[in-house]
Amino acid sequence: MLKHLLSIAAVVVLMVEAAPAQEKKITIWWAQWDPAAALQELGNEFAAETGIGVEVHQIPWPSYQDQVFLNFGNKQTDFDIVIGDSQWIGRGATKGLYVELTDWLPGAVDMTTIHPKAARYLCEYPPGSGSFYAAPCETDAIGFVYRRDWFEDEAEQAAFQAKYGRPLAVPDTWEEFRDIAEFFQRPEHKRYGCSLLTGRGYDSIVMGFQPFLWAWGGSWGDPETFQVQGNLNNEGAVAGLTFYKELLAFTPEGGTNADYFFNLEAFSNGSTAMVLDYFPFYPGIVANMGDQVGFFKVPRHGDKRFISLGGQGFSISAKTPKAQQELAKQFIAWFSQTKIQQKWITYPGCFTANTDLLGSEAFAQASPYNPTFAASLDHLQDFWNVPVYNELLSAAVRYLGQALDDELTPKEALDQLAEAHEMVLMQGGLLE
Amino acid sequence: MTPDRKPGRRRDYMKYGFVGPALLLLIAMNIFPLLYSIVLSFTNADLVGGDSRWVGGLNYKFVFRFSQYAQALRTTALFVGLAVAIELVLGFALALALKPRFVGKTWILTLLLIPMMLPQAVMGLYWKLVLNGHYGIVNQVLAAIGVGQPQWLTDPDLKLLSILAVDVWMWTPFMMLIGLAALNAIPGHLYEAAAIDRARPWAVFRRITLPLCAPLLGLAVLLRATDALKQFDLVMAITGPNDPATQTLSALLYQVVFRDGKVGLGTAYSYIILVLVIALASAFLRYMDRLQRREASP
Repeated sequence: MLKHLLSIAAVVVLMVEAAPAQEKKITIWWAQWDPAAALQELGNEFAAETGIGVEVHQIPWPSYQDQVFLNFGNKQTDFDIVIGDSQWIGRGATKGLYVELTDWLPGAVDMTTIHPKAARYLCEYPPGSGSFYAAPCETDAIGFVYRRDWFEDEAEQAAFQAKYGRPLAVPDTWEEFRDIAEFFQRPEHKRYGCSLLTGRGYDSIVMGFQPFLWAWGGSWGDPETFQVQGNLNNEGAVAGLTFYKELLAFTPEGGTNADYFFNLEAFSNGSTAMVLDYFPFYPGIVANMGDQVGFFKVPRHGDKRFISLGGQGFSISAKTPKAQQELAKQFIAWFSQTKIQQKWITYPGCFTANTDLLGSEAFAQASPYNPTFAASLDHLQDFWNVPVYNELLSAAVRYLGQALDDELTPKEALDQLAEAHEMVLMQGGLLE
Repeated sequence: MTPDRKPGRRRDYMKYGFVGPALLLLIAMNIFPLLYSIVLSFTNADLVGGDSRWVGGLNYKFVFRFSQYAQALRTTALFVGLAVAIELVLGFALALALKPRFVGKTWILTLLLIPMMLPQAVMGLYWKLVLNGHYGIVNQVLAAIGVGQPQWLTDPDLKLLSILAVDVWMWTPFMMLIGLAALNAIPGHLYEAAAIDRARPWAVFRRITLPLCAPLLGLAVLLRATDALKQFDLVMAITGPNDPATQTLSALLYQVVFRDGKVGLGTAYSYIILVLVIALASAFLRYMDRLQRREASP
């Protein structure tokens, strides 16, 4: 009997010894979309080079934020790196969720190659402070996709010329955009002028409205004093909201509540002339519609052109062991190299903040939307990214939605929104 | 120690032994969280942890200060009132129709019960596709017959009604089931006596059927109202938690606690709702009790 027991013990010991040592691995959480799949592929290359495994865990967009912050409530997070939305950075930085990278990042990543807007909004908190909590991963912007075949149609061009006294061309100003949207609005033929971002689910109405807010001379508030009254509800802001609302007369049915996916559908089904969305959503449209489509950057009003920033940065969880944090840093440094960024931009929907690449011919030739994307970056601006950003976002969705639904006038909506935002900022200890 | 006291003490130990684990579990899972959440409602506790500090009654003041909390309460009250009323009327009408024996009754009953047995979140996603303004089957059918295509999920006047319609579709069978049970429990001799007295059908319904079904239907109303008051799944799946037109109490709570991370504020709001619900439920139960006593008295 004893002999048997000893033999079993020996086998167990041998098996334990034969088992491979615990593999080094980092876990990254990101939303479920093409760039995340591309990151997994690059992660596999990193694993082959370094022996450090990379697992990109993808979460559907609608529940991404909820799952990340719920996980941050644990003593230790299930991820080492989170690719967080630009607006999350204030919450991550001030609540002790993100590891501060101020000392490490400039040594590991050549910051002179990072587009200043990406560094400011994706990596720093407060913006422009020089304190880093993230490294750029996916730099993003909103831009328009349009039906090039409709614009180039000779009959359409002649009709437009006759009606508006100028050629039918890609709009440079919002006023030109309005005319083109009006021109193509033919609901009786199931053809519509445009579809803007007006959805109420997460942030699409805010991303859709803010180019108008800024271009007409308003703002979300003073970034230094956090004063909202007089900025968010000044005459310019009201005029911007009024214009934005007027454009909704040229949208498909349901265009007053159009999120990113609604717009993709409105364009893909061939009914809409011009649609606003984030650039990483466009590879599918290009693949399916090819030369029928073209792209243009968000128009200007007067000399002001502002574009909503999107995109996410790599942030390291402060609730993961130090050893894991070091592995995470290794991966981020590897990913940020220009040679890896060159590979990154070859994947569908993957954009870089690397200025050398953004200006390169290779980038411009890689996809039909890349030149528009590169030209958009200088005009990027973001919503609040303070720790109470989500309450500010909820209030904005609520009151802007009520303005679009005719429950409040633009002036009433912005007055009430300014009051609500100041209350949230006061509660958050940012406004006296 | 006298021999006759020993078995008594042993019985005591056994008693505590049986009750103890359940009691401990109850304290750990119910009583402690309840008391702890009262403390939380007076702090600025955050979902992601970190230091929280005592803020006194600020959270309660904030709830009364902002209109969105009152609006969510109004939306929920409207939803509960309409949903329960429609489901009660439709459910009881179906029960009356299905009371007599006829061929295929079992099949019809089974089919009618299916919606009630499906998960609400899944049904919410399913109806989101069905009611989609662009490609939903409902609007495709309406387009085929040349009728307008309402934007069920984006028109502010229709969103809540759409969710209400889904809720009615799901829960009318529940009311029907309780209604059938109540109808089957009415003694047949009462109807025979009414027939001998040549009572009109409406009088039979008003004097016999309705009063005798009332206690069970009242219970069904209470159960459904309690359930509808917690409406979350359908709202979350169909319009999301932050749409003012459809934001119910649970959706707002989700928004405050899980999106904004304000655990303290969310808890304060929960307690205000709890007090309201207890007050309403007590009033309803008292009314039901009075109704039953009146029925019982000669």
